[in-house]
Amino acid sequence: MAITADVPAARQSGGFLRFVVRLFREKPLGAVGAVIFILFLFCGLFADVLAPYGLNQINPRNRLKPPSWAFPFGTDNLGRDVLSRCLYGAQLSVIIGFTAAMLATFVSVVIGIVSGYVGGKVDLITQRFVDAWMSFPDLIVLLVVVSVVGAGMPQIIVTLGMLLGIAGSRIIRSAVVTTRENMYVHAAQSIGAGTPRILFRHILPNVLPPIIVLFTTRVGSVILAESGLSFLGFGVPPPAPTWGAMLSGSGRTFMFQGPWLALAPGLCLTVVVYAINVFGDALRDLLDPRMRGSR
Amino acid sequence: MHAYLARRVLALIPTLFFASVIVFVIVRLVPGNVIDMMLAQNDVGADKLTREKLIETLGFDRPMWEQYFRWAGRILMHGDLGNSLWQNTPVTELLAARMPVTFQLGFLALVVALLVALPIGVYSAIRQDTAGDYITRSFSLLMLSVPSFWMGTMVMVFPSIWWGWSPEVRFVAFRDNPIQNLKQMILPAIILGTALSAISMRMTRTMMLEVMRQDYIRTGWAKGLSERIIVIRHALRNALIPVVTLIGLQAPILIGGSVIVEQIFVIPGMGLLLLDAINQRDYPVITGVFLVVGVSVMVINLLVDLSYGLLDPKVRYR
Amino acid sequence: MLRSRKASLFASAGFATALLAGQALAQGEAPRPGGTLEVGTVYVTLSALSWDLADWNWKQNHDTGQFYEQLFAADLTKSKRLGGKHPFYADAWLPSDAIRGELAESWQWMENPLRLEVKLRKGVMFPEKPGVMAARELIADDVVFSQSRLDKSPKRIAGYFDHLSKVEAIDKHTVLFTFKEFNAEWDYRFGWGYYSGVMPKEVADVGAGNWKNLNGTGPFMLQDYVQGNSNTYAKNPGYWGRDTIGGQEVKLPLVDKVVFRTIKDEATYLTQLRTGKLDILETIRWSAVEELKRNAPDLKWSRWLSMSGQFIALRVDTKPFDDIRVRRALNYAVNKQEIVKDYYGGNAELFAYPQHPDYLGYFEPLESMPDSIKELFTYNPEKAKKLLAEAGVPKGFTFKVQVCSCQPDHTDLLPLIAAYFEDVGVKIEIQPMEYGAFLSAMTSKTNAPGYLMNNGHTNPTTTIRKSFVKGQVWNPSQWSDPAYDNKMAAVYLERDEGKRQAMLKEMTREILDKAPYVWLPTPYIFTAWWPWVKNYGGELRAGAVRPGPIYARIWIDQELKKKMGH
Repeated sequence: MAITADVPAARQSGGFLRFVVRLFREKPLGAVGAVIFILFLFCGLFADVLAPYGLNQINPRNRLKPPSWAFPFGTDNLGRDVLSRCLYGAQLSVIIGFTAAMLATFVSVVIGIVSGYVGGKVDLITQRFVDAWMSFPDLIVLLVVVSVVGAGMPQIIVTLGMLLGIAGSRIIRSAVVTTRENMYVHAAQSIGAGTPRILFRHILPNVLPPIIVLFTTRVGSVILAESGLSFLGFGVPPPAPTWGAMLSGSGRTFMFQGPWLALAPGLCLTVVVYAINVFGDALRDLLDPRMRGSR
Repeated sequence: MHAYLARRVLALIPTLFFASVIVFVIVRLVPGNVIDMMLAQNDVGADKLTREKLIETLGFDRPMWEQYFRWAGRILMHGDLGNSLWQNTPVTELLAARMPVTFQLGFLALVVALLVALPIGVYSAIRQDTAGDYITRSFSLLMLSVPSFWMGTMVMVFPSIWWGWSPEVRFVAFRDNPIQNLKQMILPAIILGTALSAISMRMTRTMMLEVMRQDYIRTGWAKGLSERIIVIRHALRNALIPVVTLIGLQAPILIGGSVIVEQIFVIPGMGLLLLDAINQRDYPVITGVFLVVGVSVMVINLLVDLSYGLLDPKVRYR
Repeated sequence: MLRSRKASLFASAGFATALLAGQALAQGEAPRPGGTLEVGTVYVTLSALSWDLADWNWKQNHDTGQFYEQLFAADLTKSKRLGGKHPFYADAWLPSDAIRGELAESWQWMENPLRLEVKLRKGVMFPEKPGVMAARELIADDVVFSQSRLDKSPKRIAGYFDHLSKVEAIDKHTVLFTFKEFNAEWDYRFGWGYYSGVMPKEVADVGAGNWKNLNGTGPFMLQDYVQGNSNTYAKNPGYWGRDTIGGQEVKLPLVDKVVFRTIKDEATYLTQLRTGKLDILETIRWSAVEELKRNAPDLKWSRWLSMSGQFIALRVDTKPFDDIRVRRALNYAVNKQEIVKDYYGGNAELFAYPQHPDYLGYFEPLESMPDSIKELFTYNPEKAKKLLAEAGVPKGFTFKVQVCSCQPDHTDLLPLIAAYFEDVGVKIEIQPMEYGAFLSAMTSKTNAPGYLMNNGHTNPTTTIRKSFVKGQVWNPSQWSDPAYDNKMAAVYLERDEGKRQAMLKEMTREILDKAPYVWLPTPYIFTAWWPWVKNYGGELRAGAVRPGPIYARIWIDQELKKKMGH
């Protein structure tokens, strides 16, 4: 089947700075999202410096202390500082979210470009494979894979990366198919340009916008998926302070004795995923208004 | 059209074969095998004798490929997915009990998703970049950003503390008592549905934006038709496409991805069946769920693809 | 105990008195039959794993024990609530002075060869089950059939019935068990244990694994089963049992229906209790108690000490844990009192595991143990360092500890223990494992040198045998000592309970002292029920994980329930 877009995939927007200005002017909500997103990146990258305490600094005597000057977000059931754990949680989210999204994007691009550009039998077979893959719900695949290889960060990153990557390849592929039919690609082919040259010079720049948008929203999907796994007991194992684990673990257990235990990681998670989504939507509107159906 | 259909159905065969091999082998590689777990059921020390007997009883003494072909053979010949290792119940029976529940939940969630997504999508498209656009869209995106287990927990816990009310979680089949059944299903469907609505909202909005720029709509404006007529008559009709696409895209999520709400709202669907089966290493059940979910999704996707042709004459099957 | 597998307990004196006072008032009330009892049992998170006794699965006795009866059951008139000395919390132990005949009317021992003759109650009926069987009386052949069916099952645990040479029906109501040798657990093995249910042959003929076919003589009949959601048991109108409640003789059971609810999520089952949709919830973590008491102040409570001892098993077949000094040092290094106070908020106890305070006659409190054992429960990092130095590891060492990610309590507790260890130079590498993998590691004896778990006690004899006899499945420290195994064998052959108690006390002291585990505190678990649940005081089991006879005696004060707005 094919609903194929019939106009060029992207408008070239000149200059990064001009783009930022456009973002703020035309998409204020998206701009707020971007600011939060960058702030979160910053927290993640500098968690070691920012966190007042260690991520696993236990002090049972300080257990379940409400927010105070010493512990702005309170302490958890082992007396650990929730603020520090949230900051380290951002770090983990950055690591998990970015590496998995990067892997996903890479996989999407490779499959999408090969399938879309080469076409013919290769395309057909690849697409059937993608179909089969996408028939299995992400969570089911994740559960099975995690129970096979054991819970752990690398496993979760690779699995999520592959899952989202293969699913996303559809979008890249349709962008490639559209671009391939353009005059300048035909022209390049007729003057005998090599495939790599065509791919890098002509195809890739044109499918860049959907790639950027995909990448951004993937970060959010990955963070959310990890939290779901944590809830089911298949997430990154403790004492790693992922937001999902903090929220579904002690956050739920001590919902009443220490609501702050849930509030802090819950807010971090929701705000960041939300910010990423609005930012992604704004990017989508600005870069590639025709992208649709992307998860 | 027929040739296309035939090709699509044929293409399912190799995919299913590969999927089944992978599923079959992988679950048996999971660390911690079912024999060990069964032996741990008792306080009395199991010696080698018991272990070997158990392996033989469950048929694990045969080579893996032989086990696979026996299993696949039974599926092809008798539609028999084997028996649960723990309960001796046929897997098909377990699935028959769970599938309607999961499909019902999925269907309700889809309805909710569309009820939220279509109005918001349309509204935010015709009022692009206004406060209304931002607010409605934000709501939908926010629902996507809150983990569903947290949403579920909140819905479960707080009404019980504030008003002494809690959602119904004792399951009654729809055919036995539809009202009682819906009492349990509706909240999880809303949670699942609102979370999914963002995706379809986006799709509707993009589609609408695109359609609104089309010539015939502009003509409509020029002719002085009211906004309502334009939106309903021309634009919304086009929204059917994203609706259908959505069903295809979200089928896997709806069929197997509802484990979390199933767990919180105690819905005996396939997600929970699978989770239990994984925990107990009940191989035939794991493979059965996998296969059935996979096939259902493939079939739904096929139907979705076919329906494009009905909705949009521009689409041609190649 | 893993997850909610097997647990059990002990009410503090204060609680017991409170219960007694409350019950004295209720005593005069005449029971009114009817109503539905909705229960979240101790195993609220687990659906039935199997319905067939011959699958040799521990949990079937919990689910089938409502309709399959056994030769013996708990004598609930000996409960603390009614002025007796037993709380009936233990997962699989009935005190010898609190056993009554259920299907058995009387029994007597005969010598040379050793035999047990059991006279069955007359007039006990299997109800009619369409498509399976017509109503008929239970006879001796049914008992013989049930036992031999278990013994012939391919899933049977080898050796379980080895102490028996023959089981036969002498006449319609007499069963004769001929023993090869005495077995201290004879009544647990086929009397009131996990594998003691008596079922009719007709059920086996049409398939004993299919819940739709099941039919027994008990107070309830299985009416509906939704895997992962609920087991519904309806009253068996022809049940033979009677009891005296509130001074009045009544026909059992008193409620029309009992529903076992299966709810995996903690927040959900607590909510269902809070809003009165569960009448009884038998397992509540201490962390949830305070909120429930505040938001549902009418709930009645009992508290029991988990029947699952908690510890880090140290593999004594690996270095450096083959050295008793190292094992003892690790015990000194952990501040167990602080864990009780700060981690469990006081809701835990340190006691002489593998025994349990509930095992009257078998249990010996730490206070009366020798100093060398008391020391193991006293925080003393200096001595720990000294011992480590003597053992040749003055700078400490690193070892791996496996923990089940299915137990949030444990994954939280372990980093805390790691911090204590680090103070004496010992580092641990935490390896969280998913339930199946974790359990298999122990069963296949491939577990890491450290293994944080809790282990169900079962009963005072089994708790030692299964944990410390060579080759046993639930022996994570891989303890292996022929002399100890011989002592265990002697316990099994000893016919005098008093002597057995003395032998087991001695063996408990010995194993505690040798410190194969880092002994940890055991948390309390709470049970709560609404005031309209009558003739109940938090009793949990009247056999091996079998609550059936308890629920048969409960009645629901439906007026009170309505008055309270439910």
